[in-house]
Amino acid sequence: MNRKRLVLLLMMLIAATFTTGCWDKTELNEMAIVSAVGLDRNKEGKLVGTFQIINPGNVAGALQGGGGSNPPISIYRATGDNVLELDGNASMKISRDMYFAHANLVVIGEELAKEEGLNDIFDAFERSPEFRATTRIVIARGVKARDIVETLTAIDKVSAEKVIRTIETTEKTQGKSISINLQEVIKNLLSTGKEPIISGFTVRGNTGKEDKMENTMSSDIEANPNAAGIGVFKDGKLIDWLDGDKAIGSMWVLDRIENVHLYLDWEGKKNAVTYSVIRQKTNIGAKIVNGKPKISIKVRAEGDIREANVPLNLTDMHVLIDIERKLAKELKKEMEDAIVRAQKNKSDIFGFGELMHESHPKEWKKLEKNWDDDTFPKLEVDVQVETFIRRTGLRNKPFLSNLQKKDQ
Amino acid sequence: MEKANISGYQLFVLIFLFEMGSALLVPLAGEAKQAAWLVILIAMIGGFILFFIYYGLFQYYPDQLLTEFVRNILGNFLGRIVAFLYILYFIYLAARVLRDFGDTLLTFAYPHIPLFVANAAFILVVVYTVRKGIEVVTRTGELFFVLENLLLMTFFLLIIASGMIHLNNLKPIFEISGTEMVKMAFTKTVFFPFGEIIVFLMIFPYLNEHKRLKKIGIWSLATSGLFLAVIMAVNVSVLGVDLMTRSQYPLLTLIQSIEVAGFLERLDVYFLFLLMIGGFIKICVFTYVAVTGTANVFNVKQPSRLAYPVGIVILLISIIISSSYTEHIHEGLKAVPNYIHLPFQVIIPLLLLIIAFFKNRKKGKTSTKKSS
Amino acid sequence: MASFFKQKRQVKQREKKKEDESQSKSKTPDYIESSLSANLEIVKKKTGKSPDIIIRTLKIGLNPEIKTTILYVQGLIDNPSVTDFIIESIMKNPHLSKNILPLEAMEIISEDVVSLGGVERVTDWEKLFLTLLSGDTIIFIDEVNVALVASTRGGEKRSIQEPSTHLTVRGSREGFTESNGTNIAMLRRIINTPDLWIESMKIGTVTKTDVSIMYINGIVKEGIVEEVKKRLNRINIDSILESGYIEQLIEDQVMTPFPTLNHTERPDMVAGNLLEGRVAIFVNGTPFVLIAPALFVQFFQSVEDYYNRFDIASATRFLRIIVFIISIVGPAVYVAATTFHQEMIPTKLLVIVAAQRETVPLPAVVEALLMEMTFEILREASLRMPKAVGSTMSIVGALVIGQAAVQAGIVSPAMVIIVSITAIASFATPSYAIAISARIVRFGFIICAGMLGFYGMILAFIILIVHLCSLRSLGVPYMTPLAPLNPKGLGDTFFRRPIWAFKERPQYLTNENNLIREGNNQRPLPPESRGMKTSDGKKGEGNES
Repeated sequence: MNRKRLVLLLMMLIAATFTTGCWDKTELNEMAIVSAVGLDRNKEGKLVGTFQIINPGNVAGALQGGGGSNPPISIYRATGDNVLELDGNASMKISRDMYFAHANLVVIGEELAKEEGLNDIFDAFERSPEFRATTRIVIARGVKARDIVETLTAIDKVSAEKVIRTIETTEKTQGKSISINLQEVIKNLLSTGKEPIISGFTVRGNTGKEDKMENTMSSDIEANPNAAGIGVFKDGKLIDWLDGDKAIGSMWVLDRIENVHLYLDWEGKKNAVTYSVIRQKTNIGAKIVNGKPKISIKVRAEGDIREANVPLNLTDMHVLIDIERKLAKELKKEMEDAIVRAQKNKSDIFGFGELMHESHPKEWKKLEKNWDDDTFPKLEVDVQVETFIRRTGLRNKPFLSNLQKKDQ
Repeated sequence: MEKANISGYQLFVLIFLFEMGSALLVPLAGEAKQAAWLVILIAMIGGFILFFIYYGLFQYYPDQLLTEFVRNILGNFLGRIVAFLYILYFIYLAARVLRDFGDTLLTFAYPHIPLFVANAAFILVVVYTVRKGIEVVTRTGELFFVLENLLLMTFFLLIIASGMIHLNNLKPIFEISGTEMVKMAFTKTVFFPFGEIIVFLMIFPYLNEHKRLKKIGIWSLATSGLFLAVIMAVNVSVLGVDLMTRSQYPLLTLIQSIEVAGFLERLDVYFLFLLMIGGFIKICVFTYVAVTGTANVFNVKQPSRLAYPVGIVILLISIIISSSYTEHIHEGLKAVPNYIHLPFQVIIPLLLLIIAFFKNRKKGKTSTKKSS
Repeated sequence: MASFFKQKRQVKQREKKKEDESQSKSKTPDYIESSLSANLEIVKKKTGKSPDIIIRTLKIGLNPEIKTTILYVQGLIDNPSVTDFIIESIMKNPHLSKNILPLEAMEIISEDVVSLGGVERVTDWEKLFLTLLSGDTIIFIDEVNVALVASTRGGEKRSIQEPSTHLTVRGSREGFTESNGTNIAMLRRIINTPDLWIESMKIGTVTKTDVSIMYINGIVKEGIVEEVKKRLNRINIDSILESGYIEQLIEDQVMTPFPTLNHTERPDMVAGNLLEGRVAIFVNGTPFVLIAPALFVQFFQSVEDYYNRFDIASATRFLRIIVFIISIVGPAVYVAATTFHQEMIPTKLLVIVAAQRETVPLPAVVEALLMEMTFEILREASLRMPKAVGSTMSIVGALVIGQAAVQAGIVSPAMVIIVSITAIASFATPSYAIAISARIVRFGFIICAGMLGFYGMILAFIILIVHLCSLRSLGVPYMTPLAPLNPKGLGDTFFRRPIWAFKERPQYLTNENNLIREGNNQRPLPPESRGMKTSDGKKGEGNES
């Protein structure tokens, strides 16, 4: 091949690569960044999708100190039979391609979760390379998913952020919500030894107003999104809500507690003493006793006394031990209540079945089929709690004890 | 044969990168579920055995490439045919890796690019490298070795920092029986990636200290086997068995789950980097070996001129071999190990070894002690 | 296309004809004639009666009959030498009495009279002109066909000043000048060993530039000096105006943006390199001295690294590498991330960038290329600007163009930030040669990133590494000690081993027999009494003060 032809060929190759026109290249102003997706079912039985799209100009403008008179997010709705059809139908209303890589939140309507279940929805999310595996899932409780997705919030410009952060903080400080992502939910849906639980979210207040800008303009927000309990699933369908103590108890069993407060009644006064958990560990073991499965749970918690509204003598070791014992009893009751509730629901949300599978695979093969309905509800669970009080804050005795002495 | 010189460390690095190459990508020994890592380790032992076979052949002909000593053993005519078959084998393997790689790219990053373009861009870079000779390939390999290890270490640390490892997921280990594990190891996993070390029979002659070859071979196989086993174990412990077997690319799913400090997420692009380094070295080695082999068998004076044609052949074959990724995987799991890997990696070398043994005994040469 | 190749052939034929002609024209007689007037005629004809070639007739001592002429080029000579030691000596010397023959006179002059250092006899014209035009004085005597050459080189030169490149905070402030002699002397002052050998040659058929090779015998690897000499002797060009000419004519690889020979203005840098087994090439007329062989890691070393302590030096070296990488991939990463891989960017940042890009009309690739071009233009302009206007222009460039362009919405602020950081990063590399390479490579990266995103960028990166690994400098692979890995040599790449651990010279450059350059136990030890060392109870040991 002489020089001339070689040069020609090279030039053609180079020209070819340049005229490729760049597939897959998308400029930022050609894409609609979706930050949250809401899924509902309407009366005709079709899926309704609500997409929360970020309006970058308004977000950035607000960040740089410009006025917040324009909403930082926009909502688009579409109906269809499956998730990708929603995507396609929504594109008729939006001037850009929807870009899901930053969709951190998926809200599922309560009715959809109760009636249809989750099994039909999640495949598109899991298979698509655009969607994140770490997307958080939340169930809309008492409202429709679209209500949550539409809400405008004051502090977090993008309300999806607010929902996610609220759930995370609640999980950390109270234990009444659980921050769970898509991958975990699917894992739990598939596993025969564990059922998923998903946090609930609702909008309190004037639910007609949450999508208006005035909602964010006053200091006392009229329509306020709130975390609301934990939803229990069985076979992919929502069957129960756990609130308050039951929720906290379940989280203790699941070892997902971080900095919870435990309240203790003392001498007739309700919740007079507050114990703040700093560190905890829940160890669960599965055994086979006399051919029957048995679960033993050991909890060990360490923490401080943070509030004492009764005149306790916190300098006395015996008092502290007494408090510890009472705390342990209280916690044990909470956890046992939660387990009983789960057994009533016939849904093994704690993963005891998985535990059996890991430690006694042969027996698990026999128990697997009827675990949820037969074996789990009759399961013997033994709970042992140890609490330790390490410190009492900056004071030892509460000032109340001195106050009473003065009176005497 | 080139006038090149490779040091022991360089050969170690090359073999290591080659073995890790596309094996990082797929769920290696995925059918063994929680015991996948164990199966990999067992297959590694199988790899040792294969290596000893090749080492035995090398000891008889330490200065000749595979395509050359095949002619010495089997005679010129038959030898040329077998050598040519091996060249086709190497080209096919190169095309397979290229296809793997291109499909992965299209799956998670660039859905709209035509496979041809993605593969063509890559093969161009490979051809550019191969034309410069094996020394440049090894030097590049040295630099990439450091890079790949840095990336792997970083991922490992990030995963630990994310707190995602649940060692419980690795239990129960013996969900499938021990004999099944061994069977799986020796019928599937040993061929890919451990048995592919046969290509190095075309590179061993360049090593400057022949005596160290045994140690280097064992060490590099052991290290890469260990790394692969650990990565598979991490895959299972983070993702769980079910997700791991359903993912096309478990390592990618793993990396996508990393979420640290609120902003280190969606690190798939680093996975891309890791993938490209491994794939690049692997395809380079295959292509280089194919080019040298062809030059050798057909007495071509300037092997570098064959690089472009061989590259184009590999590119075209990579497009043709299957029409969808599923078919590609299916072919790779069912057809390739038994009909292609088995004869080329085990049967023919064994036969060659036996014939070489008899030939050299007849000639009265004092054969060096075979260590198989 | 075909005509392009035909033209080449024609040019080649033309050149060949010219060569044959020029050779036949300049046929002067080879040897000096006896007759003075004939010699002077030849001189005048050859030099075209240039007025700065002074022909001065003299009277020798007390002998009026012997005709003597001295010949020198005004401006190239050292005036005092010629007037005092030649003219005065010859004219006033009592030994040159009446009754001597011209030949004797020549003897006496060469040995007794001319009180200068170098005196030589010359018989052929080529050498005569060579020395004349280097600044020596020629002494002709009638009826003698030998001429005397007295070394009187001098003339106006730049004095030793601070070097303009490779500035350091700590270290000597002397830089090379344009005169070969001065430069070589400077180096001799630093390295006082007789093993410092120099070989001189004249390269360039018309300019006949002095080129000297310097190396330390015993340290240099065998074969390197021969290779350098071989390449220098191969050079067949009419002029060598700067060391850059030599560099481009002897380098290993031509088609690469990366330099394979290093150059510097600092004598201490040359000295350091010589002590590691390298060869220095001095070219008369330029303060830039070439150093061969040059490896990739060298371009990230500055002399200051060795003068400062090892922790600071290592940190600075790390910084330089990071900065170099940024200067190559900076804009490319931005382009790839914002057009192909938006999922990589954290959501908050993405929103900010997206807001900026709403208003910009151009795609990111074009914007990046445009900004880079603008910056290159600014850079070239700033080199040529007179100092008075310089600062105003930089204000104009930075503020007006940058600010105005951003506010007009033609470029996005993020792009301006990226380009500025890249530009600053490219100035942080100590060697100008490699900063230039980075500039070229950067454009390639931006284009690859614009076509195929991170995939394209990684491919470009692979090509870059393969290219670097395939380069050689004087036979040594360019990426040593990184690849092929040389663990001992690694102590001086991205971090610097302390001086007290510098035991061996790099073995890929030096003679194997001469590797050790430092004794053992060079680590400085604190006095004995400090720290928790057990004392033997002996009094008076160590300084307890």
